[in-house]
Amino acid sequence: MTDGGENGGLKVVDAFDLDDELRSILKPGEMIRDAEGRRHRLPRYFYEIPTYEVGAGTRLTAHFSLNEFILGDLREAQRLQRYPRYVPCAVRILAFYLEEFREKAGASVHIAVNGGYRSPSHKMSMSASPHMWGTAADIYRIGSTILKTQEAIEKYNDIAEDVSDEIHVLPYGHVTYKEADDHVHLDLGYITLIPREISEDRMEQPQENRPRFAFEERRRKERRVAAVGEDEA
Amino acid sequence: MSNAQLEKSDSVAASEVSLYRSLLKIKRQHELGDLGIAFYDAETTVQWSYNADQYFHAASTMKLAVLLGVFRQVERGELTLEAPVHVRNRFTSIVNQEPFMLDLGRDADPDVYGQLGKTMTVRELAFWMITKSSNLATNLLVDVVGIGTIQSALDELEIDGVKILRGVEDQRAFEAGLNNEVTAHGLLKLLRLIADGRAYSQRACDEMLNILLEQQFRSGIPAGLPKAARVAHKTGNISTVHHDAGIVYLDKRKPYVLVILTQFEPEHGRGTAVAEVSRDIFSTLANGAYD
Repeated sequence: MTDGGENGGLKVVDAFDLDDELRSILKPGEMIRDAEGRRHRLPRYFYEIPTYEVGAGTRLTAHFSLNEFILGDLREAQRLQRYPRYVPCAVRILAFYLEEFREKAGASVHIAVNGGYRSPSHKMSMSASPHMWGTAADIYRIGSTILKTQEAIEKYNDIAEDVSDEIHVLPYGHVTYKEADDHVHLDLGYITLIPREISEDRMEQPQENRPRFAFEERRRKERRVAAVGEDEA
Repeated sequence: MSNAQLEKSDSVAASEVSLYRSLLKIKRQHELGDLGIAFYDAETTVQWSYNADQYFHAASTMKLAVLLGVFRQVERGELTLEAPVHVRNRFTSIVNQEPFMLDLGRDADPDVYGQLGKTMTVRELAFWMITKSSNLATNLLVDVVGIGTIQSALDELEIDGVKILRGVEDQRAFEAGLNNEVTAHGLLKLLRLIADGRAYSQRACDEMLNILLEQQFRSGIPAGLPKAARVAHKTGNISTVHHDAGIVYLDKRKPYVLVILTQFEPEHGRGTAVAEVSRDIFSTLANGAYD
């Protein structure tokens, strides 16, 4: 499954096909609650970014490269701090809106570290937030303006809201995750993007939730017995 | 006891009395409210102290405990020195969990706040926390390892006399009287463990010493020493205290560990008391009083 053309051959992966560790980090298809208790299903399809160079060289829009959405620090799961890295496909839609926002703001837009995609295993992922869908950005600088005053944050919040009704911003204030006082937070909500080349008739549920058939259980037992036998030999 | 031993014992006592008088004179001259001193000389194994169990506001000497907490996590494999940390000026007070920002104009270190919005490694932050006493780097590292971990490090190494409650510039906590505190004995124990290679591992101690030797504020202990002396140390200053705690390396002898804590009224300023105490102690040791 590849997304050709302007993606420069970026591979789209179904996170259910990834190894156990990555599946446990990305939690594809799992339901999680947001701060208000509403349930959301985590994304399943990701772009696989094989190297830093590929991420830096992949332009989602004229002014945003893929790497700008995966700037993280040690709070991200260790496995996701090294390449290949993964970002939900919906990041492309965010980039489109950010490009519009950049044009209206009239200056370069800088996404903060931990301010783009955050996996569900990121230490800042306390409850569901659009960051885990790749559809939110925390912007700490616009042009040469560091966003740390109420005046600057409210000015750019207004501009963001003028771009589209789809954009949600956090008001200026000091309550973490509900307000923002050192960045502009904008998001598009919980958008899941399914690339057109994906066929959705494959397994729809997370493996751990999928009912197991009797023959599968039997085969699992047989494999375990065989493995023990080999160890003893 | 032979005559020679008695003479030697008299000589040591005389030196200690002389040192004691000299320190009291410095305390009086500089109008210090309080003075706490402790040293241990690895060459002669002599340990000496004055008012060394009294608690002082730790000021930036608390960064020694943060350094210890960082290397605890590194040695346990829970952190790497190359791990990236988001440089962000937003912290949470221990009082009511209220957010606060540092006054970056007061911080001596543009090397760190110039990186706002980007990442720096744990190693870089530890370096600037010690060598330029960066408050921003300190609070970032406190957030990374946690106050509980720092206190665990102190407890595991049986360091009494160093109480760490919070990061720096937490004004709400300061107003509530919740401060980091140290005694001269507490910091002496901490530095002796590093000097002896007994703080987690020899490798960790070597790394910590290398950072401490790069200290850029030299108006305390180093100012009372010959230029050839190398000092692995950490200073601490606020409007009412001036401290220095370090390991002094001199040619052809084992190092000595020295902690000098001073407290004064804000209108008096910090003066040169720490350097003068350092000079007196160096003179006492250099004159062979304990040889």
